[in-house]
Amino acid sequence: MIFLLAGNPNTGKSTFFNMMTKSHVHVGNYSGVTVEKRVHHIKHLSHAELVDLPGTYNVVPSSEDEGIVTYSLLNEAYQGIVNIVDSTHLKRNLHLTIQLLELCSPTLLVLNLTDALRRNGYVIDLDKLKNLLGVDVVAISARNHDEKEELMVANKIRDIQLHKSLKLDYPQPIMWGINQIRNLLRYDNVRVKKKWLALQILEGNEAVFQYVKPHKEKEIKKVVQEVEQQIVKEGIALSLKGAIFNTRREFIQRVVDAVMIRVENKQHTKYFNQKIDRILTHQMWGIPIFLLIMLTIYQISFGSFLGLGSMLSDWFDLFWTDYLLEWTAQFLNRIGISGFAAGLIVDGILAGVGGVLVFLPQIVVLFFLLALLEGTGYMARVAIVMDRFLSRFGFNGKSIIPIITGFGCTVPAIMATRTIPDRKERILTILTLPFVSCSARLPIYGIFVSLFFEQYRAWFIMAIYLLGVFVMLFSAKLFSLSYFKGAGTTFVLEVPPYRMPQLRTISYQALEKAKRFVKKAGTFILVGSVILWLLSNVGPNGIEANSTDSFLSIISGWIAPIFAPLGFGEWQATSSLISGILAKEVVVSSLIVLYGSKAAIAIAFTTSSALAYVVFASLYIPCISTIATVRSETGSWKWTMFSVIYPFTVAYLVTLLIRMIIQLF
Amino acid sequence: MTISNMKKGSRAIVTSFDGLDEAFVARLMDVGLYECSEVTLLNIIAMGKLFLLEVDEVELCIRKDDASRIVVKQL
Repeated sequence: MIFLLAGNPNTGKSTFFNMMTKSHVHVGNYSGVTVEKRVHHIKHLSHAELVDLPGTYNVVPSSEDEGIVTYSLLNEAYQGIVNIVDSTHLKRNLHLTIQLLELCSPTLLVLNLTDALRRNGYVIDLDKLKNLLGVDVVAISARNHDEKEELMVANKIRDIQLHKSLKLDYPQPIMWGINQIRNLLRYDNVRVKKKWLALQILEGNEAVFQYVKPHKEKEIKKVVQEVEQQIVKEGIALSLKGAIFNTRREFIQRVVDAVMIRVENKQHTKYFNQKIDRILTHQMWGIPIFLLIMLTIYQISFGSFLGLGSMLSDWFDLFWTDYLLEWTAQFLNRIGISGFAAGLIVDGILAGVGGVLVFLPQIVVLFFLLALLEGTGYMARVAIVMDRFLSRFGFNGKSIIPIITGFGCTVPAIMATRTIPDRKERILTILTLPFVSCSARLPIYGIFVSLFFEQYRAWFIMAIYLLGVFVMLFSAKLFSLSYFKGAGTTFVLEVPPYRMPQLRTISYQALEKAKRFVKKAGTFILVGSVILWLLSNVGPNGIEANSTDSFLSIISGWIAPIFAPLGFGEWQATSSLISGILAKEVVVSSLIVLYGSKAAIAIAFTTSSALAYVVFASLYIPCISTIATVRSETGSWKWTMFSVIYPFTVAYLVTLLIRMIIQLF
Repeated sequence: MTISNMKKGSRAIVTSFDGLDEAFVARLMDVGLYECSEVTLLNIIAMGKLFLLEVDEVELCIRKDDASRIVVKQL
């Protein structure tokens, strides 16, 4: 049995999904966290699955993200719909509910955040609501995570029933239009009620045409036009869409008036808190405060002062190199393995994988802190603060969400751009996002910082991050002045209330990131290390004692001269960059495998060539997974090629520039 | 008059849109701002560039340029 979970953005949909199913999804306190469809088993209910649809205000999609909802309603084989509603924003949430009820599938209405509503001094009369909408209703507060509540909802889902269809009194021209279109659809084979489809078409749901491909598309569009003209002529509303909206709003107003019971006389507190937000979104201090918060987070993750992350990483490093590597070498020696095979295991696999794994604690700490920040609702304030700034570069304040996600991993960040309705703006964001330094690049900075820039740790890392952001903004500006003219022009941002982040969800998110990182270390990096070690120890004449005669040395030797002007023309450095396209962590494991040890890296680089290397590595060609995501999200080979060539060129030029500046001094 | 010349704290009814593109109006409709909606101007922030509004207990921010294209009638 499959049930669809639908609801507006930021209604606690993901929290509810986590509560009701056996695993977790990413939860944040802003609109548009759920960018992909997720399916999980429902707890306390055998053979039942819940599909988490992206949050949407309306079945009619206004971004690609929301198109998934229309698609699922039309094509998915589901037994029922679970519609989650934020009871503190009933008026707005019910617009989606009405559209779902008009569909006439078995539906369960879940009123979430009833505790927050009670704090505002209201309760909802469930029986009355049930009667008015003709659908089963259950009230919960998903954040409290109550076992009894889980069971109750699971039972309600099991007993989900067909309700009587909801019929609103739309203005006469619309009723006429529905009948006309329903007639024209009679040759089309669809799974949903044609009456509903007709209304969706009148509302301007273009996705319907895309998924249904009606035979009489032209005639249908003509009917839509006629109805639109009639609505405007009779002065019913400003547009057809508006007429439908207003009919629903009037109905909702009546429902809300009937079901909201005031139990306590309380002043409604505004979400944009006058005291806190006056400081956090201050026209002068807003951005410095944001940067200060970010610096504190970096300091705790990577710094030496307050450096929780670095401390844990240092312990791990000590254990790995001084004990594990030693023990393994001794153990292998004792059981009679030495030479080539022992080298492969100790210097190839363990040293390579360990060189990357050592950064795991720092990454977990960083993500724990970022998730904490996300959970509070502060990110929406950052979007407000950053809008004026970002709009100058062809972004809008909302792009801050993919950008922040990009600090973790570019792949989900690119997916998060699905919430950007304008296509130009979306592609512009996708193409510039890889410059935001992802967590996989951290090990590269980490190793060079520990060898060359130890005294400036957090500052150096923050500077590299800022460089990435700067290059991203600069590129966006460049694009928006040329091909992407006119991008970044719309901005509607909802301000969410401040909420206490939940430790359970946050630690889960941090652990999820950790798992992904370890998994990558166990696959990509392991395989990469092995291949690299083999290529660097085997040459045309068999096993080479001297790695300068190896295959890798010969191949990279051809390419390396390109990088000579940047100060790192050695074949080891070049090979590491090439293998880093697999996954950025591989750069570090490769360096360690190819040079033999961290100490050898310290000798091979000078301070200025180390700086050049770090800068280049932070900006150059994105990893394979990112390139693949760019391809699937833009659907264009042209942009995919561009996303490979442009960063390489930029990385080269920026590094060259920095190198020239250094030489001036 | 438009939202951009409302006074802080005052309320108004939206009457029409002047030159806003359809996709943007749809976006506003999603958060509940449409013709006949009652709007309260809560605050003007970011050096007068962003307008913080309340519609049906939803708080939202729009840019000044867009605010000046939403025609309202003062309550």
